[in-house]
Amino acid sequence: MDLIRIFVLALLVNNIVLMRFIALCSYIGMTGDIGQSIGMGTSVTFVTVLATAVTWPIYHYILMPLNLTFLKILVFILVIACLVQLVEFYLKKNVPGLYSAMGIYLPLITTNCAILAVTFESIDFNYTFIQSIVYAVGVSLGYLLAMILLAGVRDRMKTSKVPKFLQGTPILFVATSLIGMAFMGFAGLMK
Amino acid sequence: MSEEGKDTRSFWQVFKAGLIFENPLLVLMIGICSSLAVTSNVSNGIGMGLAMTFVLVFSEIFISAFRKLIPNAARLPIFIIIIAAFTTIVDLVMKAYFPALSKSMGVFIPLIVVNCIIMGRVEAYSSKQKVISSIADAFGMGLGYTWVLIVIAAVRELLGNGTFAGIQVMPVSYTPILFFILPPGGFLVFGLLMSVNNAIKRSINKREALAAKQVSDQQKAKENA
Amino acid sequence: MKNNTIKLGLILAAFAVVACASLAVVYQVTEPAIASQAQDALNASLKELFPEATSHEDITSAVSSSDETVKIEEAYLVKNDLAPLGVAIKASTASYKGPATVLIGVRLDRSITGVRILEISDTPGLGANAASPTYYVDKEKKITFPGQFTGKYITDKFEVKTDVIPITAATVTSKAITKIVKVASASAGAYLQAMALGTAAPSATSGASQEATQPAAEATSGASAEGTATQSAEPAAETTSGASQ
Repeated sequence: MDLIRIFVLALLVNNIVLMRFIALCSYIGMTGDIGQSIGMGTSVTFVTVLATAVTWPIYHYILMPLNLTFLKILVFILVIACLVQLVEFYLKKNVPGLYSAMGIYLPLITTNCAILAVTFESIDFNYTFIQSIVYAVGVSLGYLLAMILLAGVRDRMKTSKVPKFLQGTPILFVATSLIGMAFMGFAGLMK
Repeated sequence: MSEEGKDTRSFWQVFKAGLIFENPLLVLMIGICSSLAVTSNVSNGIGMGLAMTFVLVFSEIFISAFRKLIPNAARLPIFIIIIAAFTTIVDLVMKAYFPALSKSMGVFIPLIVVNCIIMGRVEAYSSKQKVISSIADAFGMGLGYTWVLIVIAAVRELLGNGTFAGIQVMPVSYTPILFFILPPGGFLVFGLLMSVNNAIKRSINKREALAAKQVSDQQKAKENA
Repeated sequence: MKNNTIKLGLILAAFAVVACASLAVVYQVTEPAIASQAQDALNASLKELFPEATSHEDITSAVSSSDETVKIEEAYLVKNDLAPLGVAIKASTASYKGPATVLIGVRLDRSITGVRILEISDTPGLGANAASPTYYVDKEKKITFPGQFTGKYITDKFEVKTDVIPITAATVTSKAITKIVKVASASAGAYLQAMALGTAAPSATSGASQEATQPAAEATSGASAEGTATQSAEPAAETTSGASQ
């Protein structure tokens, strides 16, 4: 599979939030504000690419040769937890504004399903290292895209009349359903 | 670790809370991450619900049993290690004895390790409560998660495929509405289910408020008399 | 402070070690079951394509794909006791939304015993119907999409809408699977020819003239069933003499 194909499929056709239901918690929770969405999206992109770059070699050069592949889940999630800690320390020291703006959602990146899913799938799909990185970039940019889209929609919805029983989270899911239907149109992109 | 805020409810009260009143998906609104992806058919929904319940129950038991031995500063990595271990056990067991289901659910079984419900309950509840309460909480939350998954999956599979757990239910002349099996349909069904739940909660609250008002009116009438 | 950190680290390590040890135990217990699952699945699929099969031999390294977009993942020489029955090839290519993986069987007479869809991630109701046992491309005769390949010869045209009935509204998927069948069956034929097993396919269209003339030449040079048997026996004799040296 060539790299452009992997990227486009990950970004649009198989968008991780809208078409695969992954990373919904943060998607619903952090799209109240466009700035927040962008902050979260870029942080996730950074951690995802870094995590893939670290876990791929760990699996192929340590776990596999030593026949320890069953430790994959344990090792990968611990690596991600460490990376998020490092990102936290770095932001606290160098970009305190963003650090305090993200608040509790920064440590929550550890439980972001998207990051872990990407690391697992880079192994399951038998991607090479370069393919894994491209896949990671595609998926996380797709996540960022979905976040920005919903944040924009929510902004518009602030001034519209939502039926009483749909208020709050239900209307967000309906909105996501509609955005998702639009994304299904991308299916014809790749030959 | 302090013992303050010990839960004094009975086993059944804790269990029922997880099942209905504090249902993780419909009320607490956590754990939505993987729940939509695995509900395109009922078998996957049941599989996911039970797998997640297994990991939740054992994680809560272990963390509650060892809660005095887990230093506060290192508690998150230790929680992760324990949850990841049980997730791996579920993954291996399913690959060995339920290979078709394991393949059908794909990456979502290993993703149980980051299921917000498990991390949330372990941090908020079982790291502070005794083992027996944790068991009740785990089963309540886990089965509460499972029944909601089954409902969503049933709607999606019935409307989208005409079947229930693979068994043809709708008459053969029924043309399945593919939309419901596809992701946008899943989002829609979940949104509508939540709104139905909201409506029910609102009417229960209204009734309770009305009943409370009646009681206080009666009391006021008594006092004035 | 430093003492405290070391203590924390040790407790963390203790939990980690216990967790890893328990996982190692569970892995030992489940590994044989997992390995046999894969083996059972393979045996079951091969048996579906070749009902008389009793064993198979991995020949993946001896088979190559003529088209770089079709990847040959596994290849087996399927046998009944020691008599070869044909070749089974598992190959994949990119389909509409993701890869499509297919298993095809080719008999010694170069006919296709069957095609099984192993993996397809295209849209349910459209491309995914390739794998559906109830979706028929020929409703009268109740033939499924992969089912229509059974009985075709490897020298057929394999063109969608000409000799292959496509899945409605799923042209990309139909073309992808047809391409796999065409390339994989050609590779199977090439292997069988190289190993001098079986007889050639009936001389088909002009496009397959090269393949048709070579085996035809072999057939006319007096290579009857016995002839082919001696041909395959000779290399065997050669290898044994080579081994004794």
